[in-house]
Amino acid sequence: MIEAERLSFAYDRGPVLADVSLTVAAGELVGVIGPNGGGKTTLVRLLSGVLAPDAGVVRLDGRPLAAYRRRDLARRLAVVPQDPTLEFPFTALEVVLMGRAPHLAALGFPRAGDVEIARVAMARLGVAEVEDRPLDHLSGGERQRVLLARALAQEPAVLLLDEPTTHLDLRHQVGIYDVVHELARARGVAVVSVLHDLNLAALYCDRLLLLAGGRVVRQGPPAEVLDAGTLSVAYATDVQVTVNPVTGAPVVLPTR
Amino acid sequence: MRISARGTYLTPARLAWMTAALAAVLGLSLVGAALLGPVHVSLARALAGGDASPDRVILFRTRLPRVLLASVVGGSLGASGAALQGLLGNPLACPHVLGISGGAAVAGVVALVAGADAVSPLVPLAAFCGALASIAIVSGAARARGRTTPHAVLLVGVVFNALAAAVLMLVNALVSYTQAQGVLFWMMGSLSTQSYGLIAGSAVYSVVGLGWLVLHAHDLNLLTAGEEGAQQLGVDVERTRRSVFVASSLLVGAAVSMSGMIGFVGLIVPHLLRLILGPDHRLLLPASFLGGAAFLVWADTIARTVLAPAELPVGVVTALAGGPFFIFLLRRSLRRSVA
Amino acid sequence: MSRHALVLALLVAGCGGAPTPPPAGPPARVVSLAPSATEIVYALGAGARLVGVCGQCDRPAEVAQVPRVGGYLAPSVEATLAVRPDLVIAVPSPGNREAVRAIERAGVRVLVVRDRTLGDLWDSIPALAGALGIPEAGDGLVTDLRQRLDGVRARLAGVTPRRVLVVVDHNPLVVVGGGTLQDELITIAGGTNVVRDVGSAWPTITLELVVARAPEVIVDAGMGDEGSARGLFAGLTTVPAVRDGRIVRLRDDAFFRAGPRVADAAVALADAIHPGVLAPEGASREAPPG
Repeated sequence: MIEAERLSFAYDRGPVLADVSLTVAAGELVGVIGPNGGGKTTLVRLLSGVLAPDAGVVRLDGRPLAAYRRRDLARRLAVVPQDPTLEFPFTALEVVLMGRAPHLAALGFPRAGDVEIARVAMARLGVAEVEDRPLDHLSGGERQRVLLARALAQEPAVLLLDEPTTHLDLRHQVGIYDVVHELARARGVAVVSVLHDLNLAALYCDRLLLLAGGRVVRQGPPAEVLDAGTLSVAYATDVQVTVNPVTGAPVVLPTR
Repeated sequence: MRISARGTYLTPARLAWMTAALAAVLGLSLVGAALLGPVHVSLARALAGGDASPDRVILFRTRLPRVLLASVVGGSLGASGAALQGLLGNPLACPHVLGISGGAAVAGVVALVAGADAVSPLVPLAAFCGALASIAIVSGAARARGRTTPHAVLLVGVVFNALAAAVLMLVNALVSYTQAQGVLFWMMGSLSTQSYGLIAGSAVYSVVGLGWLVLHAHDLNLLTAGEEGAQQLGVDVERTRRSVFVASSLLVGAAVSMSGMIGFVGLIVPHLLRLILGPDHRLLLPASFLGGAAFLVWADTIARTVLAPAELPVGVVTALAGGPFFIFLLRRSLRRSVA
Repeated sequence: MSRHALVLALLVAGCGGAPTPPPAGPPARVVSLAPSATEIVYALGAGARLVGVCGQCDRPAEVAQVPRVGGYLAPSVEATLAVRPDLVIAVPSPGNREAVRAIERAGVRVLVVRDRTLGDLWDSIPALAGALGIPEAGDGLVTDLRQRLDGVRARLAGVTPRRVLVVVDHNPLVVVGGGTLQDELITIAGGTNVVRDVGSAWPTITLELVVARAPEVIVDAGMGDEGSARGLFAGLTTVPAVRDGRIVRLRDDAFFRAGPRVADAAVALADAIHPGVLAPEGASREAPPG
């Protein structure tokens, strides 16, 4: 369970987040949406502890992040980043095994069980066949799925995702969120995901947080947040919201 | 490119195997190189004859110390090159190119000019401090650029080297090298030695440095996920940086104070080994030590036989091998970053 | 308008048009750009004519009064021209070629002499003396030096030559090779240069070569301190020079200058190689005790 209480943060170039609060319980999947530059990535970095807020506090299972030792934190909280750095050609399996690092000793040699966990994670994300290919030989979509497998291998209680489906086609986008959703429901992981695709958000998320200009514009179930008026203002563009005839979820349509 | 030596992930068994294989290569190189030289030496005569046998004197007083020193220096440079490449995320990094050897050399010369005895531990200590200062400055420049261009670091290194060369020349002109060794020793390197004691002392620094690096080998692996990524996987990034800096400085300081600046070993060896053995630092670090040792032993053998009976500075051989290799790597890296 | 034309004309004239013809009579204002040439000029008795010398010119003592015009490796064209010399003497050095050419183009007479071998010396002295207008002094100096060198050779005629290695730098190990003045001095001083065949004038060699060539005397002509040569060769027990303790310091820089002190250098070297054979001539050398 992770909660953010009245977070504020400013980079050198100016304030980015102001007074943002959020609570995610175990088993919940919360989506963070909003226009570019609204502070979404910064929020993820604050939640993961990589950045320290100027004001406010982030608590994991009731304790502030600062109270955790780094390795303990890494055993509970995993992040899937947007943009992997690729200077050295580790294979997909080696990368996923890195996810086991917080659970391993100093030199980090995996035990048989660790390799199993890694392979299972890769299978769930459909990248099992590429396990011995170097990361820079994979497509963008495969790379993202490997990074998600790495996060899964960490066996976290909280999972943070920063736009995990940018390079993926529709089938894989749905595939990823199926996995993430199942993680939340079946394993009780608290998930926060930054998304651009509002319809995907509507389909999978229990709650949405609409972030614009560094502030929380709206927070609540998708049907509530995905309101044409609110969205048009936040995104500065006209939209229409209807209902998906099959799933009953709201569908956001831009208008010309 | 997959080479079968790679495997899918590193196990302790594979680490042990590969290290043993490389150690064997090094051992054979030591023996082979000790038997080669401008003067023909017969092992039989050397072992049979007493202290009056020139073969014995050549083998055990000049050749053997020399190849042992070459392995300690080469190993130190190889391992520190691998660590720096991993830490800076830059496969073009190496102690010489980054100006770290230059900083170490300047500090060592200053210590000698200030009156330290050539064999006192003050000289490697000064060289260690010089290396540390250089690393701090160079990495400061690297971080200021964030993750943008790794080439900025190389520019700082070029400037550093030019500065170091200038200071060495200046000292040479002013002091007329009573005790500071010649400028040629510092700038082109020399592995000529007779003292097993000095070699042993140097080896201690190197082994300590290597051990320290290996303890952080897994952290270096995780750092390839980026600083933030590594932090999120539980790595104390600041502590890892500091440890790698200090350990590398120990290695480079020990090497440079014993043999002057010898370049490109820390560039070529880790790079080639990474292609063959993979980027896992738990294997790459000890492998680069052993590989660097063997490499320098052979480079030195070439240096003392190709123009026999005269001797070429060993830095010339490594530069002739390393310079074109570096340019080739740079071009490849530039092409990839533009593409 | 005409004033401007005058200034312009002066500027053009000053910018080195046609070289001015050499003045009649022997040169009265001489600049020497090499320490060896400076010593020769003084030895010829013409030291008073020196109006500029290079920074490294330190002998004889009187030269300290003469203004400096740059270095042996990098002479200053401006400083040289500023003292308005009639004659500039230069020895080819790595780096002074452009400067010497510039001085020539400015219309000053330049005499280039070489200093690599004794043969060069026997040519340079008459050339210098001739250019200074005192050929008899030149012949006299040459005769005197040759006589003294022959004298050294003669006194060592009955003595078996010793195998010699002359060390110039310790690490890397730079030694005196063949084809140099220093090599010739070794022969005159009763030695055989063990690395004469190595191929270049100042080769770098390995310690094992020292063991293989087994010199009987090692002369340390480097700039290091007393014990460093002994420390360098200490473990090489099969080398006669090490075994018998014949590692000798030669501190006299006359050894490195092709000038009027070559005979002194020969004597000093002979004393180092065959101590006691020559009657003491006041050479500067140090031998290890015992």
